[in-house]
Amino acid sequence: MANLKELRTRIASVKSTQQVTSAMKMVSAAKLRKAQDAIVQMRPYADKLDEILTTVSSNLDSEIENKYAGRKNKERILIVAITSNRGLCGGFNSNVVKKTSELYFQTFNEYSQKGKVDVFALGKKAVDGLKIKGIQVTKGYLDIYEGLNFTTITEITQSIMDGYTLGIYDHVELVYNQFKNAAVQNLVSKQFLPVKISETTEIQSRKGEFKPWYIFEPSMQEIADKIIPQSLKIQFYKAVLDSVASEHGARMTAMHKATDNADVLIRELKLQYNQARQAAITNEILEIVSGANAQLN
Amino acid sequence: MHIEIITPEKLLFAGEIKLVKLPGTLGSFEIMENHAPIISTLSKGKIKVKETNGNIVYFEIVGGLVEASNNEIKVLVE
Repeated sequence: MANLKELRTRIASVKSTQQVTSAMKMVSAAKLRKAQDAIVQMRPYADKLDEILTTVSSNLDSEIENKYAGRKNKERILIVAITSNRGLCGGFNSNVVKKTSELYFQTFNEYSQKGKVDVFALGKKAVDGLKIKGIQVTKGYLDIYEGLNFTTITEITQSIMDGYTLGIYDHVELVYNQFKNAAVQNLVSKQFLPVKISETTEIQSRKGEFKPWYIFEPSMQEIADKIIPQSLKIQFYKAVLDSVASEHGARMTAMHKATDNADVLIRELKLQYNQARQAAITNEILEIVSGANAQLN
Repeated sequence: MHIEIITPEKLLFAGEIKLVKLPGTLGSFEIMENHAPIISTLSKGKIKVKETNGNIVYFEIVGGLVEASNNEIKVLVE
């Protein structure tokens, strides 16, 4: 039987760990609410932008020409992995790293063999995790989560989009956790560039609906030229916001579980402690009684 | 006439207004009651909003878009 003092210190240490985890859970819950608010705040902008894009393209006779459309040959690929800077959030970061390396070594294997796959990593955990997997990270963005805002994210998006228009990359893939709710995050890998065709088909299906006769200034094409990059930036920003909200959700769940585990552990240790204590008392009484008996005889 | 000025991060302004002056790409223009439906890009400049109570509010913008129809104006700014 373990000795009493040892058990006492273990119970104390588990208790203090439990305090830490339950505090972290509360902090994450508060941060999650903030992150969710940011997503909600962005929605009206994104919706309106989509609506205008739909209006413009349904009025435009020909297909919208844009420099973000698909190309015939796919030569260089960029994977953007979005993670967090901090750990202790369950499988949140490792899932992204796993998916990224799966894309790197399997899906785009023939490209990575020739060294034609670049990886951008948002968040420290992606940089570290991918290095362990043996993937060279071309660019790591570590300081974006301090005072996260649209402008800083847009700079990254712009550099990616410039990379596409200049022909450095022909395909850009985003890997991140999509936010479902506090307990559920969906790991997704989404094609960022070229702009997907499915969106345009949705627009086409809405053609023929009644639309007010808009005046377009300066011209429909120029408006489309402005909206498409903007909507890409919004998409990217949304991915980052989703990832941030998911991170806090994941951490909240992880910390909740840790707190529960600590409870179970404390209960078990207390049982052991009481058993040990009782055994010690019984032993003592036995000694006293046998001592007294010896005196009598 | 109702206006909403929206950034990707938040709603900047919403309310009933008399007129709004916008820095369009082809030159500055104003929208008043019953303006024809319009979609226009905006360039760097100032948005001037005159509320129904006569208050005048200004917003500095770098660029954006405006859509107006049925006396509903939505300004998307960066």
